[in-house]
Amino acid sequence: MKSVKEKRPAGQKQYYRRKKVCKFCVERIDTINYKDVKLLSQFVPERAKIMPRRISGVCSHHQRLLNDAIKKARNIALLPFATE
Amino acid sequence: MRNYEIMFIVNPNATEEEIDKINGQIESIVTTGGGKVEKLEKMGKRRLAYEVDKHREGFYVLFVISANGDIVKECERRLRVMDAIIKYITVRTDEEIRRLDKMRNFRQKRAARRGSGASAAPTQSAEEAMQ
Repeated sequence: MKSVKEKRPAGQKQYYRRKKVCKFCVERIDTINYKDVKLLSQFVPERAKIMPRRISGVCSHHQRLLNDAIKKARNIALLPFATE
Repeated sequence: MRNYEIMFIVNPNATEEEIDKINGQIESIVTTGGGKVEKLEKMGKRRLAYEVDKHREGFYVLFVISANGDIVKECERRLRVMDAIIKYITVRTDEEIRRLDKMRNFRQKRAARRGSGASAAPTQSAEEAMQ
């Protein structure tokens, strides 16, 4: 952390951002099932939109699987398309 | 033969017998077409995420079958015709299963290789230290 601080030019805001890691890669989850509402609902915030990768930190491979799963779940009314 | 999952939502006002009757019909379509029902799961009544045909609740049923496309087509046609069915979805799973098997094999192989590599490495470094 110290080395990061030293690299920054003077006058710039100094803060440390933790590197995000893909939850699915860490937990070795190969498949994302559309029936697993508990898991999927972690990635659909209030407005029921799919959480972007830049916020959740999910890798592109798993984001794609997640996308498919959420859309399937929406189709069978397990997840909402939008909150009313 | 391919693997499919058919999930459908039955009207919450339907009785247990009516649900069983629908399940029986679907099962007979699959078996007469030469397919096989691998799993039949009644997931019970649960709240729908959004309103469907004025319903806020539904009875979920899941079929896991191995069948060909024609059987699935027939099942979907029948589900569409039935009044008690609110919604249905068919998902093909065989490709996913195959992919998973591949991944698992790959992991095992790599773990085995790594295990042997780890035991070999220290001996080598020990030899270097000797010299």
